[in-house]
Amino acid sequence: MKRKQFIKNAAAVTAGSIVMPYILPSGRLFAASGARKANHVVFCLFAGGVRNLESMQKAEGNIMPYMLNGNESISPDIAAGMSAIPGPSGTRLQNLGTLFKEMRYVSGPTGHYNGHTTAITGKYSDEAIKLKEPPKYPTIFEYYRKHNSPSMSALNAWWISDSLGPYPFLNYSNYDGYGALYGANSIQPGSIFSANANSVLGNSLPLSNTEKAKCDLMRDFMNGQFKTGTQLLSPGIQNTPEDAELVQTFIRNMMQEVAQGLHNNPWGIPMNGDMYNVYFGTKVMQQFKPELMVINMQGVDIGHFEFTSYVNNMRKADYALYKLWEAIQSTPGMANDTVLIAIPEHGRNLQPNSVIDIYGRYALDHNNDEMSRRIFGLIAGPSSVVKQGQVFSNAQGESIDIVPTIANILGFDNDIPAGLLEGRVLNEAFN
Amino acid sequence: MKKLPILFALAWLLLSGCNREKRYIYEVEQQELYQNASEKRNLKSTTQFISIAYNDLFGSSITTEELNKFDITLQAFGDKAVLQDMIVKSLINRGGVQIVDNTTMRADIAAFCENTYLRFFNRKPTEFEAWKLKDLIEKNADITPKMVYYSLMTSDEYRYY
Repeated sequence: MKRKQFIKNAAAVTAGSIVMPYILPSGRLFAASGARKANHVVFCLFAGGVRNLESMQKAEGNIMPYMLNGNESISPDIAAGMSAIPGPSGTRLQNLGTLFKEMRYVSGPTGHYNGHTTAITGKYSDEAIKLKEPPKYPTIFEYYRKHNSPSMSALNAWWISDSLGPYPFLNYSNYDGYGALYGANSIQPGSIFSANANSVLGNSLPLSNTEKAKCDLMRDFMNGQFKTGTQLLSPGIQNTPEDAELVQTFIRNMMQEVAQGLHNNPWGIPMNGDMYNVYFGTKVMQQFKPELMVINMQGVDIGHFEFTSYVNNMRKADYALYKLWEAIQSTPGMANDTVLIAIPEHGRNLQPNSVIDIYGRYALDHNNDEMSRRIFGLIAGPSSVVKQGQVFSNAQGESIDIVPTIANILGFDNDIPAGLLEGRVLNEAFN
Repeated sequence: MKKLPILFALAWLLLSGCNREKRYIYEVEQQELYQNASEKRNLKSTTQFISIAYNDLFGSSITTEELNKFDITLQAFGDKAVLQDMIVKSLINRGGVQIVDNTTMRADIAAFCENTYLRFFNRKPTEFEAWKLKDLIEKNADITPKMVYYSLMTSDEYRYY
């Protein structure tokens, strides 16, 4: 090569390296710009439609004693309908963080799916429920996996859903540039850690490591041959083969333990679906120590038919949230490095419906009235991170603020493209 | 006597010429075969995956009750490949699976490969695929028909139709 040409080429390469910054595997140019407040976030959708009258205003007594200060007794006329739940002995959750007593779910139908979608995407949603279709806008899982640096595997993002239907589909969206590639592992423990699942999956083909390696060899070859000219519909979230193996082992072990009755009554009290969902969520948490886990409870939705059971299930949800906190603090790697956030997806109507329970109480629906838009929010975490014992009693914060707040805690909020999120970081909760 | 070998040779030629063309009977329902893998563009739904897998292995339809049990389980986890792998491992290990035994497979590996592709992928293997799979089976004495079935049924192609 002539000297002149060499110098010209070298100059071009140098200029190119200056002009073109390094592109990270996550698809963005630079590492996350914000400092992390904590390395783990657990977001609990205290859902099913919780009315602030019963929760924060304690109209029936303090039915959330694990979260809220006070010992107001339960209304005598419904007291007989309450399950035996041990009383709190340690510090109540509101003292371990900041309580927003009057948050708002400002816009969109006060439906469970819309409320969940709003909380998980940070965008108010008026979409009709679409069974088996992901939401329109990116979820917090996708923001996390796309914008966090270094990019983390799906083992670090979990969506623990209490039910099937549209809910498992909240683990990623259809939004351009996001989607399944950045989605979370979603699991509905009630269906998979069950006798039903064990009956159909229990008798598994045993494969030695060598046999498995040979199968992998054949499968890899077949996968290499499967090429199509068109864009195939994504099969959804996919773990790496190594992670998939870990997940499968975890599922199989849990299924076997459930079949052996090892998880029948782990908390020693009568447990409902919410409690089991949280319990199995803690098992996922202890196994994988995810940086981001979202979990929900919806048992209080019995409020459409039985007011007293609604109150009782709120007590159970309160207890479950405490057990979640307890599990976080007893999990090495997550203890003192996790922020726990809890909000209902929406409230319930001020006026009751016409369904009366055996205690003479009328049931409650949720149809977009002002009361059904009133929710609460709890942000609890290490004292070095979250302001302790702080209470906001005025209207402050919205459900769309949770996504930017989580992004801020994990240090990537500034990396989310402008215009995608409408909420704000709830800075007032943090030191 | 000198003509005897010639007569035998003629008879052999005549008989071998009259041999029926070797035909394979595929234990699959009559359906149109794909010409190649690229024709598969649709992702199987959870119920399609389970019912097709069951039919491919047992040659009969899964009961509604059992399909429902599998479907609920499959819906309950986001990474379908993880659960599909578990489902296939479970189905393939049951009694009643129509499975070629190892001796038969090794007696005619080429035929086994072609039949297996037809059975699970609804298409013939390409020349390269047929050669490669045959080669893998020949070189690995511990590969069993179950392992081949399992590998095909947990491949990307099996998730589409």
